[in-house]
Amino acid sequence: MLEQPRYKRGVEPSEPSRKHRPDYWLVVITACLLAIGLIVVYSISPALTELRGGNYVAHQIIAIVLSIVAFLVTARIPLRQWQKWQWWLLGLAALGTLVALVTPPIPAYPQHRWIRLGSGFSLQSVEVLKFALLISLSGFLASRVREGTIANSKMTLKPLAIALGGIGIVVAFVQSDLGSAGVILAMAIIMGFVAGLPVRRILGIGILVVVLTVLAVSTTPYRRARLTAYMHPENNCATASGHQACQALIAVGSGGMIGLGLGKSVQAYGYLPEAQNDSIFAIYAEKFGFIGSVVLLGLFGALFARLRLIIERAPDTFSRLVVTGVLAWLSTQAIINIGAMIGLLPLKGITLPLISYGGTSVLFVGAALGLVFQVSHYTSFHSRFIPRGGGQRNRYEHTTDRRRIRRPHQAGLGGRA
Amino acid sequence: MDNWHTSEPNPIQRTRLWYSLIMIVMAVFVVRLFYLEIIRYDHYKSLALSDQVREYEVRPERGTISAELNGEVVPLVLNQKLFTVFADPSIIKNISKTADAIAPVLGQESEAVRAKLSTKHTRYVVLKKKVSPEVSKKLLALKYPGIASQETHYRVYPQGQTAAQVLGFVNDDGEGKYGVEQALDTSLAGTKGRLKAVTDVNGVPLAASSDNLLIEPKAGNDISLTLDLGMQTQVEGIVKAAQEKFRSKNVSAIVMETNSGAVKAMANYPTFDPANYQRVEDGTIFQNFSVASPIEPGSITKILTVAAAIDKGVIGPNTSYYDPGSWTIDGAKVLNVAEGTGTGSQTIKSLLNLSLNTGATWTLMQLGGGKLNAQGRDALYDYFVRHYRLSEKTGIEQGYEGTGYVPEPDDKDNGINITYANMSFGQAYSASALQMASALSAVVNGGTYYQPQLLAKTKSPNGKITQTQPKVVGTNVVSPKTSASMRDLLQYVTDDHARTGFKYMDFGSEYSVGGKTGTAQIIDEKTHLYREDAFNGTFMGYVGGDMPQYTIIVYNIEPHGYSGFAGAQTGQPIFADIAHMLINNYGVTPKKS
Repeated sequence: MLEQPRYKRGVEPSEPSRKHRPDYWLVVITACLLAIGLIVVYSISPALTELRGGNYVAHQIIAIVLSIVAFLVTARIPLRQWQKWQWWLLGLAALGTLVALVTPPIPAYPQHRWIRLGSGFSLQSVEVLKFALLISLSGFLASRVREGTIANSKMTLKPLAIALGGIGIVVAFVQSDLGSAGVILAMAIIMGFVAGLPVRRILGIGILVVVLTVLAVSTTPYRRARLTAYMHPENNCATASGHQACQALIAVGSGGMIGLGLGKSVQAYGYLPEAQNDSIFAIYAEKFGFIGSVVLLGLFGALFARLRLIIERAPDTFSRLVVTGVLAWLSTQAIINIGAMIGLLPLKGITLPLISYGGTSVLFVGAALGLVFQVSHYTSFHSRFIPRGGGQRNRYEHTTDRRRIRRPHQAGLGGRA
Repeated sequence: MDNWHTSEPNPIQRTRLWYSLIMIVMAVFVVRLFYLEIIRYDHYKSLALSDQVREYEVRPERGTISAELNGEVVPLVLNQKLFTVFADPSIIKNISKTADAIAPVLGQESEAVRAKLSTKHTRYVVLKKKVSPEVSKKLLALKYPGIASQETHYRVYPQGQTAAQVLGFVNDDGEGKYGVEQALDTSLAGTKGRLKAVTDVNGVPLAASSDNLLIEPKAGNDISLTLDLGMQTQVEGIVKAAQEKFRSKNVSAIVMETNSGAVKAMANYPTFDPANYQRVEDGTIFQNFSVASPIEPGSITKILTVAAAIDKGVIGPNTSYYDPGSWTIDGAKVLNVAEGTGTGSQTIKSLLNLSLNTGATWTLMQLGGGKLNAQGRDALYDYFVRHYRLSEKTGIEQGYEGTGYVPEPDDKDNGINITYANMSFGQAYSASALQMASALSAVVNGGTYYQPQLLAKTKSPNGKITQTQPKVVGTNVVSPKTSASMRDLLQYVTDDHARTGFKYMDFGSEYSVGGKTGTAQIIDEKTHLYREDAFNGTFMGYVGGDMPQYTIIVYNIEPHGYSGFAGAQTGQPIFADIAHMLINNYGVTPKKS
């Protein structure tokens, strides 16, 4: 089934790596995380159904099945093909965002973030956008690297800033989804950083973002209130802005060393809002305690470590940037989500990847990991960055050097994993 | 480190740089988790429990109240399970959408609901009380977060306002207030259970938790009243008609069994609707006037004064005396109500029939050996308080029973003699209708004072029925002989009234009906003088065959629109209506002889 990527129109001038056994650890860790998420959703579903109705477990199982399908599809369709579809993907994301904007919201979720498909199913448009950006940004940055214009402000930074600025405004302000806007920004910055954007420029952007954020927060009373609530969550339990943060801390703190046990979460019974979703880490911590929390962080750490290895051994810039984007996506989202639950970051209302209930998130994270899995077929232990112009070949490819290191049936990751 | 000063940035080094940042952040998270879950565990556990664990009183089902109608038990007060719908504003996502959706179900304006949902700093706002299970279910099916309902027991009154003031009501805290509900609260209420439970945010206990601590509630007793519902309804009708006719402040009437103290009917008008007690503005209407509100009863007291003197042997039923038509005592004059009447030779019969104040004062003098003195006062006081049990609670099963007031006979102030002269014909002391009726029963039934009772039966939750027995609290109130004399005297009064224009007082020769009117002066609370503009019309008597069967008392408070004396014009006709009703409908046993 899997073929060697066919390169057309000089998209990828470097030598193709050989296909080898993929990184199955990636699949194992991902499956563990999905299973944990499903178990938590299952265990709190009576509380959720009692409070708001709906069949959470069935929805989550459907989401996971769809996610596996997406994983298989993205793992098999060559990256180059995805790159060719980047405009379609971006178009799809734009269309999705538009539909989400005109979809009448429901009382529980007043923001225009979802496309409602009926019978309780809905699609979060920003997830499509993240996936499309993953491909298109990687392609854009990889081509700039190849052309040697990555450090050129006019060629790289300017169009990037304009595109991201526009997307940021729509996501952050029209959809009032500051968290997702932050994830997209983090993805772009980190991919740019890895691609070789000058550090000064990145620092400049970073300072600009910080200044704008400070301005936005200090000039708007309700954002200030939220920040105050974030600083002192326990003093703001009764206020709308502080309630979730406070209840999250109580959920985490009351977990103790080993937790209350799987079916024993109390905070899920209406105390902690979005228990199945944004707040799922706190519920998990309440159930499984410090030990369980560390295990979960460890699983995420292991996933990130696999991704890092694949980045380092990616056969070419484009695929490296794709995996970089996925790692940036997952890690930023996990950090923002968990950080808010343990009172280190303000609440932003984004999901914990693979764990949170929420079909779109699970589906597109699955798709993104499928791409990573595909790349893991072609990793090379000695693969290194192809500096510029793309003309320079991997010095080790087809050399005895490479062969000496390569083991039968398993290259790259096997050696160190 | 990345040598980004050169033209060759190294992506591997850059990847490792930000990857190590991720790892540092995750290490910080582990430290933070250690702090929250291990070091601060006790703190957060106690915060969680203070939020999650609630202690409840579990209210037992309150006992029902019923009475008999034609030998069948008819419920007066039952319980209904209804729901209180409330909101937790802190978890409502969209106030206006929620308000728009739930307002029509609740039958309220969405503006009003919105205002309630917008309440700050609370997690419990009552939206509507007494919501039916159907509406509650419909509302919860909408599944708006933060809207919930709580089961609550309410009292329902299948007979509407019947006997409302006898029953009282149960307030929102589940406490019996006024009437039987208050007096028998302990018996009706049962024993509260306790539930300590980890609950969801709406306070619903989580069944999963094993920490629940439960003391089972014990249901209250069902009680049955002595009231005859048919009689009660008719007396209420009579009382209401009289109140409307005379535009009185209040009309009260009691029918009790002369030989057991069982209250068969007890009615006041105006009254209230117990199902909507919250709408009552003036709380005094909750009072059962005939029990809770003693007044100066007026000339009906002469029955008690004469009975005391006959019982003491200082006069006989046929004694004649010279009546001067007025007495000057302590510088004040005792006159008869109808000026100029009574002067000359009088008998005890005419004393009662003409209601001579001077005659009652003379009778008091006979108790003192012919003079108005301490001996006479002591004797009258002894009868009023120790024999007739005035100024004491009767012990009827009613909240807020009034005791009334009988002045001490000691010569503490200069006016004690005139005070006692006033007492002898019904002023200067006070008694409730129930106290007077109970005393009259003792006077005419042969001298046994039965405690007036409303409680007929108590049925415990396990089905055990306790029948209340008549309770004798005084014997020889007057001697049987005195009692017989009093029956003759009172029958004479009634017969004479029937002869002299009050045709409705004719009850036929097979029944014995005796009684006496009272036109009571009313003290002005401000000036402490008797009012000129209003009187209370009272009447007390009995109906029976060879022996009295029912004692009847009527208090008509501040009637208007009559000419003549309040007692004869506004008290007596009510008595007559009730007596005729008893004879016609309630099988008063006719005389055998």
